Amino acid sequence: MNVRNFTYFDYILFSAVLILTTIGILFIYSSGVNSDGECISTEYIKQIIWAISGVVLIILVTMTDYRRYADRTFIVFLIAMAILVYTRLFGRYVNGAKSWIGIGDLGIQPSEFTKLIFILYLAYFLDKSEQYGSQLVRFMKSCLIMAVPMLLILSQPDLGTASVYIPIFLAMCFIAGIPLRYLGMILIGGGLTLVFTVLPLWETNIYKHSLPAIRILTDMRFTAIALIALCFVTVLSLIGRLIFKKHYYYWIAYITGLIAFSLVASIGASHVLKDYQIMRLIVFLDPNIDPLGSGWNIIQSITAIGSGGPFGLGFLKGTQSHYRFLPQQSTDFIFSILSEEWGFLGGLVVIGLYCTLFIRGIKIIRKTENRFGVFIATGIVAMLFFHFIVNVGMVMGIMPITGIPLLFLSYGGSSLWTAMLAIGLLMSINLRRLEH
Amino acid sequence: MRRDSTPSIRILAFAIVIFSIMGLYVLKLFSMQIVQGDAYRRQSQNISQRSKRLPAQRGEIFDRNGTVPMVLNIDSFAVDVTPGEISFDSFPTVLSRLAKILEVPVAELEAKLPKSIRRSFQSVEVKSNVPYSAITEIGEAIDELPGVSWHSKPVRNYVETGSVSHIVGYVGDITREELKLFYNKGYTRNSIIGKAGIEKQYDEILRGVDGYEYRTVDVKGRYIENSTSIQPPEMGKNLILTIDRKTQLLAEAALGKRNGSVVILKPATGEILAMVSYPYYDPNLFNQDDANEEYRRLINDKNTPLLNRAVNASYPPASTFKIIMTTALLEEKAISPDKKINCSGEIEYGDRLFRCWVRKPGHGPLDLKEALAQSCDVYYWIAGRDNLGVERIASYAQEFGLGQSAQIDLPSQTAGFVPTPQWKERRFHERWLGGDTMNMSIGQGYLLVSPLQLADVVAMVINSGTIYRPHLLKEVQDPSTNAIVSVNKPEVLLQSSISAEVFATVREYMRNVITNGTAQFPMHNKTVQLAGKTGTAEVGSVDHWHSWMVAYGPYDAPADEAVVVVVMVEASNPWDWWAPYATNIIFQGMFADQTYDEAVDSLGFRYIAGPRGRQE
Repeated sequence: MNVRNFTYFDYILFSAVLILTTIGILFIYSSGVNSDGECISTEYIKQIIWAISGVVLIILVTMTDYRRYADRTFIVFLIAMAILVYTRLFGRYVNGAKSWIGIGDLGIQPSEFTKLIFILYLAYFLDKSEQYGSQLVRFMKSCLIMAVPMLLILSQPDLGTASVYIPIFLAMCFIAGIPLRYLGMILIGGGLTLVFTVLPLWETNIYKHSLPAIRILTDMRFTAIALIALCFVTVLSLIGRLIFKKHYYYWIAYITGLIAFSLVASIGASHVLKDYQIMRLIVFLDPNIDPLGSGWNIIQSITAIGSGGPFGLGFLKGTQSHYRFLPQQSTDFIFSILSEEWGFLGGLVVIGLYCTLFIRGIKIIRKTENRFGVFIATGIVAMLFFHFIVNVGMVMGIMPITGIPLLFLSYGGSSLWTAMLAIGLLMSINLRRLEH
Repeated sequence: MRRDSTPSIRILAFAIVIFSIMGLYVLKLFSMQIVQGDAYRRQSQNISQRSKRLPAQRGEIFDRNGTVPMVLNIDSFAVDVTPGEISFDSFPTVLSRLAKILEVPVAELEAKLPKSIRRSFQSVEVKSNVPYSAITEIGEAIDELPGVSWHSKPVRNYVETGSVSHIVGYVGDITREELKLFYNKGYTRNSIIGKAGIEKQYDEILRGVDGYEYRTVDVKGRYIENSTSIQPPEMGKNLILTIDRKTQLLAEAALGKRNGSVVILKPATGEILAMVSYPYYDPNLFNQDDANEEYRRLINDKNTPLLNRAVNASYPPASTFKIIMTTALLEEKAISPDKKINCSGEIEYGDRLFRCWVRKPGHGPLDLKEALAQSCDVYYWIAGRDNLGVERIASYAQEFGLGQSAQIDLPSQTAGFVPTPQWKERRFHERWLGGDTMNMSIGQGYLLVSPLQLADVVAMVINSGTIYRPHLLKEVQDPSTNAIVSVNKPEVLLQSSISAEVFATVREYMRNVITNGTAQFPMHNKTVQLAGKTGTAEVGSVDHWHSWMVAYGPYDAPADEAVVVVVMVEASNPWDWWAPYATNIIFQGMFADQTYDEAVDSLGFRYIAGPRGRQE
């Protein structure tokens, strides 16, 4: 180890992570305190153990040269897929998803670690394929790399964890220079599929009026007519593009083709997904329709955050949490306890610390010479960012309930270690950013 | 275009997306906590919503005639305590008062209301099975018992407490593990869930959907008027089983107090008309407050009363396996049915002496039909070893459904076991020997079957190659209108390619077992023509054997009218070769419409008592 290692060690990033983790442990402790002021949960002790071992992991990964493993990422990816298959078949149920493997109380959630392995392998592939002649082939192969782990996790079924793969993928491909019109397919196609899937239930449960247009989605005959029309226009435009060489034909085919695809995909999705799963995605639009199930959680969480005010009720003084109105306080709803007890100021501190992570991450993306490193850093920033907005958005009532944790703060060994390993990778890239 | 670096415009765009969304979140947080903070704070201090579950009534279970219920719901009450409504100082007085009314020690109530939840507004059930008199007492003293309430909690009353318990099963409070597993199916911490039998198998049909009553309460726990809304519960559906109550009682009496089981199957549909496993248990025991105690007693009983022997136990099929051997020999034309093999009572193979159940001088020369009738071991040893071989025997056993789940609609069942040379190699690292094939040829050795699977074997012979999936559920009925919601239609489980002529010959041979063979005396019946096969399985002890009888009747009627009866009496009982007698009594009772006692008398079995020598 030479002097450069010390000068390039990212102390700011490292400190931000340490502070976030410490705040996490404080509020995991708080969530275990009941209304009599006694701590009835030992979760915070476990989290301390994970945090300490996680910091050791950061150091170890930082010291390791990430480039040495570049050509081994494929085999690691294959092993990770095998473990996901094993988990799907023999895993343990946690909250209705077969997502755990382990012995007794010791266990891991492989889908957490798989995210990192996916980032590494996709980064390796994007790096190797920079000189590909066809960007379309490059894009299709990248899609395949995303689809395998995503479908395996979807089948557990764990909608939340699976959804994380899409933003990671989009960000990495975007930075890797894949043309926007291809990424648009994923963005628009995915978005439309989601909207088409939830619209029928939204109409009956939330909007509560009949919208004739939605019969296109619910009435098989109308769906068929719409599909045939869309396909017809698509094919016609493609022919037009070939004959007249006019560019706008391409875009007509692009849009109608995507709508047709989303329509088919949403029919598939509504067959695979149970109503309650879809409802969990849209209940945040009007939590009062389900005041006892997931809607209750949102109402309580919003009340907790709102009652925090500018400076909060004080550490360990929150009522919503200690009276156990909030569910899964130490995992999904950790941010609401924090906001209740530390108020707007506490929220700003956490957001500020996260912004620090992102600023350092983007700086690494900008300054690193090695393309493999650039893509890894992009994937990691996207992962941290998506976890943040979905989790905090959920507790504020503006995002669907997906049950994905707030990295560094939420209780859980697998997610904390994943986050720590990610930071280790970022720092390892930073240390070697000037080497090609 | 240079492709090995990202245009900085893309990185800039990435950063803009991230930081603008972070900015929006800060604004949202600001609006929630600073702008509307006061409103939220008032709400959190003043009002909370409270809910009460309105449990759905569980469906009832009827026998095939749909008239007499096997299980009913009886009104009973459970007492709840909402700890948050009791002020801290009055806790001891309220608890001691309540303990007195409920006639339980105060410590028990304290254990259910630990300090950690004493300010929670979530109500806790402290006692179930509370009589109406105690409820009126609570009602009269309600002013002195803040936070105490009650709800109706129907008790599952099993009307039939005999052998039907193995079919119907029982219910209980959901466990933590079950809740984890079924979290997505709408179960809650307070759910009642089927634990065994039909109650478990069809829990989702039986349980209905719970309703809810929502009320808003202020900080003191007072209800705010006009804030109540009710979502009514949906009753569970009734089930009509294929079990015939009369036949079930007849089979139960015919088996008597012998460890063993009876399966009565309608081969044309796969309907189970009766299924007995002795010993059985009283499912009402699980309703009592000391249910855990009872459960421990049952699970430690060496006669395993919780085991449904008809589907979950497997035994060597012994000579009943000769039905499959005979079918295989005929279909494969491995031996001419007229070829005689001489039985001298024993044969030597390797360094072992194999003894037929009839000792020297043995059965003499026998052809296939006579060998089945006399259940001659020597014939099947030689034919199995020299003419069929283990591979073909195993493949025919599988063709008849052995070694595979019979897929009856119960939560668990054994698949039994069909050994193969590869399996023995893997398991014991030993080669499969001719002696193993000989053992397997007479249904001994590693081969294991459940009584239900043997009933299916006979069903395939009767149906000339088809086994219908055995099932216990006949129909699902709507509880309020009594309309049939769905009917469980016969479903083909296995379809064999063995020729119909072979099955006809096997049926004729099986009839010959009753008229001229080993079962001639105990299976003699004037009311109905029977066909079948006996079996006596070695279990290692000198004068105890598993006793099998598989039979069907009427022999002279079309397959649609036939009924299969399988009786299995374990070696753990004093030996009395009871299986064929029990089988005959069941057929007599069913076809002459007689009770057990009448059937015993008309068959002249009244004075048969005491152990007899071994028969095959």
